Amino acid sequence: MVFSKNRIVQIAVVVLRFAMGGAFAYAGYVKLAEPWQLFAANIADYEVVPMWAAKFLAHTFPWFEVLLGALLITGRWFRTSTAATSLLLLVFVGLMVHAKVGGKNINCGCFGSDEPISWKTFVRDGSMLAVSLYLTAMAFRNRRKPA
Amino acid sequence: MKILALSLAMLAPCLAAGPDVGKGRTMGNPAAPMLLELYSDFVCPGCKHLHENVLPAIVRDYVSTGKAYLVFREFPLNIPAHVHARPAAVLAVAAARIGKYQTVSDALFRSQQAWGLSGKVWETVAGVLTPVEQKTVQALARDPGVLAEVQRDVDRGMKIPVSQTPTIMITYKLKQQPWAQFADYGLFRSYIDGLLKK
Repeated sequence: MVFSKNRIVQIAVVVLRFAMGGAFAYAGYVKLAEPWQLFAANIADYEVVPMWAAKFLAHTFPWFEVLLGALLITGRWFRTSTAATSLLLLVFVGLMVHAKVGGKNINCGCFGSDEPISWKTFVRDGSMLAVSLYLTAMAFRNRRKPA
Repeated sequence: MKILALSLAMLAPCLAAGPDVGKGRTMGNPAAPMLLELYSDFVCPGCKHLHENVLPAIVRDYVSTGKAYLVFREFPLNIPAHVHARPAAVLAVAAARIGKYQTVSDALFRSQQAWGLSGKVWETVAGVLTPVEQKTVQALARDPGVLAEVQRDVDRGMKIPVSQTPTIMITYKLKQQPWAQFADYGLFRSYIDGLLKK
């Protein structure tokens, strides 16, 4: 069986969409399974938002991650979901860099509450950002193509 | 099986505290359902904030009420800015042997900035002890047992691992969770209350 280049790209996009969607849904699920205060503490540790905002985000953000994961998996609102994912990952990586440069030894708060920021979290989130940017590019490139 | 699980759950705080901490560095009822182990460094400003502003509330709400057993653990950071942290920890542990841990801790945190810079740790500690107590604490500070006690706390913290100070390791129903966010006591209280309701 021979696949055309376009077909391979299409398959890759679907596989990456499922992987990213799964990762986001899982990240949200893990946070929802833990007491919300742990995620609020993780957010507050970054010292970029006031405590009331950390508490608000701790209650709402995991649901947004699950929703984003579901949208990526199903392929609904593909351009919006991939763009939002890329933006979020940019913010996450930026926050981790900010924390490291500021000499903070804090937890990432990415997948559960007990994961200190390390080279592993940078590699993982950096890879996710690369994949997300690729998916975003594919989503917008497909839009420009004539029907 | 249920009995075994129940016994383990009841033993958890004792097992987690271990026999390595003298009574001088603990507060509350050892049989309390929750164990709070506070990993602290006498030079760290966050630890001073916790000691002076948050700890009294924790003691009032959970230790005095018999809900939690509090253990003070030394975790002097091994960084140049904290060069006097270990001598301070050793003196505090030595003072614990004569029941003066809280007095010495209070003094060290109160004038943290001064001795943190000047290195006059002993002068700070001596200021709150009687001449007889001073002699005893000085001798105890050279005791290998005291030095080993500090090192055991550090090793224990490294195993967790404690990534920042202050950190409270919360042990409840065989589950452990480190907590290091003390900017808002309400958040900590809400988490602990949630656990205790389970």
